Amino acid sequence: MLLCVIALFCKACIVRDVQPKITSEVKTSASDLALSYSMPKNVTINGIDYLQSQAPVGIFGGTLVSSTIGEGPKTFNPFNCKDNTSAIMSGVMYDGLFTTNPVTGEVAPKLAKGYTISPDGKVYTIYLRQGIRWSDGKPITADDVVFTWQNIIFGGMGDTSTRDSLVINGKLPTVRKYGDNVVVFSTPEPYAPFLRMLSAPIAPKHVFYDAVQKGNAYFDSFLSTNAKPKDFVVSGAFKLKEYVPAQRVVFERNPNYYEINAKNQKLPYLDKLVYLIVGDLNNEVLKFEAKELDVISLQGSKVARYKSLESHSDFKLYNLGPDTGTMYISMNLNNRKNDKGKYYVNPIKQKWFSDLNFRTAVDYAVDRKSMVLNIANGIGEPLFTPESLNSIYLNKKLKPYDKNLDKAKALLKKSGFRTDKKGRLFDKDGHRVEFDLYTNAGNTEREAIGVMVKQDLEDLGMKVNFKPIEFNSLVNKLVSTFDWDMVIMGLTGSPLEPNGGKNVWLSDGRLHMFNMRTPQEGKIGILPWERELDEMFDKGALATKFEDRKVYYDKYQEIVYTQKPMIYIYSPIRIVAIRNKFKNIYPTSLGGLTHNIEEIYINKGSKIQGH
Amino acid sequence: MDTIKYIFKRILQTIPLLIIVSMISFFIIRLSPVDPLAELKLNPSVSPETVEKERARLGLDKPVIVQYGKWAISFVKGDLGVTSTGEKVSQKLAERIPNTLLLTAIVILLTWLVGVPLGIIAAVHWRSNFDRLLTVLTSIGMAIPSFFFAVLLLMFAVKTGWFPIGGLTSPNFVDMSFGEKFWDITHHLILPVIVLFTISLAGLQRQMRANMLDVLDSDYVKFARAKGLSEWVVIYKHALRNAVNPMITLLGFEFAGLLSGAALTEYVFQYTGLGRLILEAVMKSDINLVMASLMMGAVMLILGNLIADILLIITDPRIRSKA
Repeated sequence: MLLCVIALFCKACIVRDVQPKITSEVKTSASDLALSYSMPKNVTINGIDYLQSQAPVGIFGGTLVSSTIGEGPKTFNPFNCKDNTSAIMSGVMYDGLFTTNPVTGEVAPKLAKGYTISPDGKVYTIYLRQGIRWSDGKPITADDVVFTWQNIIFGGMGDTSTRDSLVINGKLPTVRKYGDNVVVFSTPEPYAPFLRMLSAPIAPKHVFYDAVQKGNAYFDSFLSTNAKPKDFVVSGAFKLKEYVPAQRVVFERNPNYYEINAKNQKLPYLDKLVYLIVGDLNNEVLKFEAKELDVISLQGSKVARYKSLESHSDFKLYNLGPDTGTMYISMNLNNRKNDKGKYYVNPIKQKWFSDLNFRTAVDYAVDRKSMVLNIANGIGEPLFTPESLNSIYLNKKLKPYDKNLDKAKALLKKSGFRTDKKGRLFDKDGHRVEFDLYTNAGNTEREAIGVMVKQDLEDLGMKVNFKPIEFNSLVNKLVSTFDWDMVIMGLTGSPLEPNGGKNVWLSDGRLHMFNMRTPQEGKIGILPWERELDEMFDKGALATKFEDRKVYYDKYQEIVYTQKPMIYIYSPIRIVAIRNKFKNIYPTSLGGLTHNIEEIYINKGSKIQGH
Repeated sequence: MDTIKYIFKRILQTIPLLIIVSMISFFIIRLSPVDPLAELKLNPSVSPETVEKERARLGLDKPVIVQYGKWAISFVKGDLGVTSTGEKVSQKLAERIPNTLLLTAIVILLTWLVGVPLGIIAAVHWRSNFDRLLTVLTSIGMAIPSFFFAVLLLMFAVKTGWFPIGGLTSPNFVDMSFGEKFWDITHHLILPVIVLFTISLAGLQRQMRANMLDVLDSDYVKFARAKGLSEWVVIYKHALRNAVNPMITLLGFEFAGLLSGAALTEYVFQYTGLGRLILEAVMKSDINLVMASLMMGAVMLILGNLIADILLIITDPRIRSKA
């Protein structure tokens, strides 16, 4: 019986896999659709300030089933989220004062209907919506906003990263209310990233007050995954209905949500929003194919198959453009000793890595185009800057270039490197150029890049020992023990706010991996271009106008582009698939597929075609 | 009375054993270069202050021996501590234990109900066609890797749409009636049970067959036959009672396996059992969770052996007189 089953599978596989040759072109349908999307507008009906959807009116009811990979949320408390999944789950339930316009990246109103900034850039006046309510019927007022910022965020509850990044010259911004619907923030200095930080979620005071009074330890476990669904009082479009550990999170519509459609009916259209917790990518794909999932985000190699299935299936693919994640090669520039008097990096290797010609030669030897073709199946874009390709601060003047072995060899020669008859590379003191290249094992994409980088560098005569190791051990090497030579890693950044990358780029940053200093070392042994980077980030954060900030952040990208502490490889392009029955889909590069979840509805008529 | 004394002695013996097991596992986990805060440290938007706070909360700023002492004291008091994400370990385990028990209990029950009779039949009809067929089938069952078989069945489920793709319940589970709920869980359990059943059935059937063959070959069986007893009495009264002894020891191990789960199968089927939870905990060096599960495993193994020994005392008069 078993053999029969196996034989059947094999047959099925053959039919499936031999698809016609695929071109990787998924047309950028996302950007065309995005242009036709208009943000909801403020309207006032019977003294209540609603947000009114501008999208076509839909049909109420139905469920959208999405997924999250991993172990599921760790907490539903929006101020405790230290991982992405928890942040998504609480983001569904708790709205902030503002959000990001998914098309333009500008700040757009959410719980607030508008704002003004004083001419000196220090005072932010926020106007709240009148008459809107929490899911339990209590009004959302200035008290909630002041409480959230004063007692939770500035009070150091939960994850303090927002507060820590807002300390300017040792001082925090202040917040005060004027009446029930006006809140005023003042920052000690003009601080541009602040406006975007106001999109932090707002907590209902009447629910959070006791938890805050009981102190940090209690707050850390407040509204954890053990909390009962009825304890949640939310402002967002959906509210927790059920959480089954390691299986799913189910949200139901918040009947008091403040957004309405063109017919003045309360949104969202969907009754339920379900996130299935799936362990890995393969399981996610299987669940999508078995129609248990409605939405899926696809990786390079899967896109081709889905593209060929699309025409006779019930789903449609959308191209969201380049990912915000960046993948890079970095060399360890650390030339200091540890507390036992031993060099972190072998001094012989230090000489190579600190040599700009060496780093540039490595850069020119790397064949980004063939990596995009072979590893990402063409679903990617070569990358040359630390800002991701969809960043509004991307420096477009920095030109891409191709692999150029001759140029790389010439640069090495200039620094005294030479090759012997067998093509092996030696430095000017006669040492064989040999080093370790690390990445995290299990990430097949990075492992594949590692193999290709190794081959590319061996064209220059270098000996590369490629060692994929376990993720946690690798991070330990990068940020604690500093005993590594070269690494392939990835980081995610915000396409809207380069200041988020300051932990990486400031010379005493916590993730300044390529030349990491211990907290005791401070800014010891700072390189001239590191000093320049520090300056750009300090100035960039304090300038308020976009145009001024762009100048500083352009310069920072240029420094990284020329000094090559990190050699960027490529950005994968995000492709998502969603069932045809869902309407009002306006995917954008910044917002993703479901940024307007409250406007998405199910077209019942298309069911016949679907199933 | 002797039996009770014996049990008491056995329980006392387990205490030093548990201490040694806990020390070895604690130090091995802590000495591995896995950093429980790695994910946090690599997130650019998390501030250094938060990382420090987490380090202090998890007690990672103290020497390993102090960490062990703290853990041991709270363990003795019955407090299993919190996971690296701040949830209660006891609660985390309590969420998963019923699921794993459900799966393993069904599998063990099925394999014993099917495996033992099949083993006896195969031994009695030694070298018959039926025996040969069973040998081939069990060889396949033993040779096929569980995860591979699980993946094959998953693909089967995707192709046919007859079975759900992993998990334990459907998204609309809460809105179902009792009958529907029962069917929903059964529906989800079929595939994982098939995998685990196939794998463990093979071993059990072969074991039983070998025991039975040994016994059938012994002098007292020959004597019983010579005496003219019916074949039925020879096999089920004389041979079987002797052949079943090693199986009881095996049952003790099966009991230990009740909670250790089948991590690989659980992982492939996205089954929310202990195996998957612990696998993920080990990857993240989530010390309290890993320690709790290791201790639980150790206790279950000791308990299983104890139960097997007691059962043996009951079934075998020879052991009874020695104890």
